[in-house]
Amino acid sequence: MTTQTLPALSEINMNDDGVFERGEAHPVFKRLRRDAPVFWTPPNEEIKGYWSLTRFEDVMHVSRHPELFSSENGITQFEAAGGGEDYTAAAAGNGMMLITMDPPKHVKLRRLVNKGFTPRAVKAMEPHIRQITNTVLDGMAKKGRCDFVLDVASRIPLAVICGMMGLEEKDWDLMFQLTNKVLGSGDPEYQTDVPEDQRGTPEAARTTGNMGIMQMFGYFAQVLQARRANRHDDLISILCESALEGEALTDEEILWFCFLLILAGNETTRNGMSAGLLTLCEHPAAKARLIADPSLLPVAIEEVLRWTSPVTHMARVALEDTEIRGQKIAKGERVVMWYPAVNRDEDVFPQADTFNITRSPNDHLAFGIGEHFCLGAGFARLELRALFEELFRRFPDIELDGPPERLRSTFIGGIKHLPVRYTPEK
Amino acid sequence: MKVVVNADACEGHSKCQTAAPEVFRVREDDVREVLIADVPQELVEKVERAIRMCPRQAISWQAP
Repeated sequence: MTTQTLPALSEINMNDDGVFERGEAHPVFKRLRRDAPVFWTPPNEEIKGYWSLTRFEDVMHVSRHPELFSSENGITQFEAAGGGEDYTAAAAGNGMMLITMDPPKHVKLRRLVNKGFTPRAVKAMEPHIRQITNTVLDGMAKKGRCDFVLDVASRIPLAVICGMMGLEEKDWDLMFQLTNKVLGSGDPEYQTDVPEDQRGTPEAARTTGNMGIMQMFGYFAQVLQARRANRHDDLISILCESALEGEALTDEEILWFCFLLILAGNETTRNGMSAGLLTLCEHPAAKARLIADPSLLPVAIEEVLRWTSPVTHMARVALEDTEIRGQKIAKGERVVMWYPAVNRDEDVFPQADTFNITRSPNDHLAFGIGEHFCLGAGFARLELRALFEELFRRFPDIELDGPPERLRSTFIGGIKHLPVRYTPEK
Repeated sequence: MKVVVNADACEGHSKCQTAAPEVFRVREDDVREVLIADVPQELVEKVERAIRMCPRQAISWQAP
């Protein structure tokens, strides 16, 4: 890493959606951290301009000042120049879900659901999650080779979140496909609604994302109708009975909540698992140590989170003229917080480019911080720990069986396929 | 110096316990406890870290 040459500032194009897919993001971030920590990308005919933040302190500042940096104009890097819902269906969700909501409404809605995510709630789920993990591992046990993403890492979070939402098992594969379409809309592999010769274009990405959202809403509208008619013991039923300041949640609010839950519960943990196993296979001494002593896992998982940062960014919009690191930010301008960048900020993490499974303290921002800190962080940590405990216990010789295939996205540091081999169970 | 936790803001993420286990504890029933409210000098740095890294900005020094 230390001998790596860094790109010149003039060569850096933050609009390039292939930089993570090609594994080139860290040299870009290192250059930005050093020489342009508040870096402007000008607008073009498609999208508005935005500032890229790559230093830990700056992302802390923005995250801890939601009154100054709003989430209600969308939380991703690209905002359509023409603005609005004509461009992408996701824009209709601005202000409708926890993740795109500002205080004080955000705090109230968050408090409504927080009970389900406290340490006690997470701990109560541990036996269930461990059982899911082992059932999924049973599926790979006899093969000797598998695609770790399709066969394992996608299946565990899917089973956990779909189970909590009370979705029937026959629908889980559909949820997998739809979350891929929504969050992997820019990747040709998931652009199945678009003719083959048109895949890989911005137009194809927009169509794919919009189709994914529409299909998801169609699906959840049916589930919601069924729950309103007939209560179950699940999250959707709880949302139906919830009220915010005396007013029941509307169908639209509940549908956006479902949308957020299924995306946030799936894509993030899936990629933490896949990127985590990949990283450990690339660092065999660390892996051997964890296999010999699983009690090191909780600390090691924090380092996996710092190192892999599955969610690559969140964006905010300045609500008034302000400054970051002396740079003037005008009211209405967008700032993008790059988590993989801040998690290797040398000012905060000594030897930031070294993967160290015993790193402590480890104040990474993989889950964000402040107002919008990941609600499901406790579940993500538990799912990761249960997976690596059970996986290394049952398949201690697991190793890579080919290169990973990464997702084309600037929002999710995703892995689509990860071939692995191991000694099958008898 | 006295440290306080805003119970309304706390969600039990337990970062404070990691940063300063002598001072903070999040119990298994989700109740957070301040074990030493009047923080001795040698623990101030750890408490500062807990304040800084609390995901919900729930911890603060009490105004004298």
